[in-house]
Amino acid sequence: MADLLPYPGTPRWVKVFGIIAIGVFLLIAIVVFTGVGGPHGPGRHIPSGDIAGGTPSSSTTDSAQPP
Amino acid sequence: MTMTSGLRKFALTAHVACSVGFLGAVAGFLALAIAGLSSRDAQVVRAAYLAMELTTWSVVVPLSVASLLTGIVQALGTPWGLFRHYWVLVKLLLTVVTTSVLLLQTEPISHIAAAAAEKVLSSADLRALRSSLVFPHAAGGLLLLLVTTTLSVYKPRGMTRYGWRKKHGQHALPNGA
Repeated sequence: MADLLPYPGTPRWVKVFGIIAIGVFLLIAIVVFTGVGGPHGPGRHIPSGDIAGGTPSSSTTDSAQPP
Repeated sequence: MTMTSGLRKFALTAHVACSVGFLGAVAGFLALAIAGLSSRDAQVVRAAYLAMELTTWSVVVPLSVASLLTGIVQALGTPWGLFRHYWVLVKLLLTVVTTSVLLLQTEPISHIAAAAAEKVLSSADLRALRSSLVFPHAAGGLLLLLVTTTLSVYKPRGMTRYGWRKKHGQHALPNGA
């Protein structure tokens, strides 16, 4: 008769994990898309020639040649 | 596709070794990232980032991929299966996420190492990038790997709907189906 057992449902710990995962995902999405954590994504990791990534961008644009 | 007892033990040993090694390697990486970010000694900063790149490519990435692959083999070759039990499925997802983020981080790690090799990094140089290596990336990765290790030990109960069907439903099918 074990063949007819109904599915007991998703365990509580899985639901807790899921809620935490969704919360973390939303937090990351907010940080990335609002720019709170600075620019993100692989592109931000490669500054164009200047390794002084901590300096404000204006310091590099000030010395740039006008178009 | 169930493995023999000897092969299963070999696969399990390989998976445990790779997974625990991955956890330890990320802990070491975190220590280097903190040293590179906080040390006032320029030589320590340079050494930390050069060592980070070396260990990333020679230890962390190989162990992460090996952990993922041996885990999949271990799951598919035993009655646990890959999609039958929630703890196995959650472990798989967490390892995939950790490995993916790690692979995305190899480029910035190499960039910082190249910068450190080229000149003495001041505390302001690449500050945001160096901070992000500590938190959230290395610290978050370490936390996820601690979770996967805990899941492996405790193996919390709970079958997926697919696993439940496989266990209780297949015998209900008519003969020959």
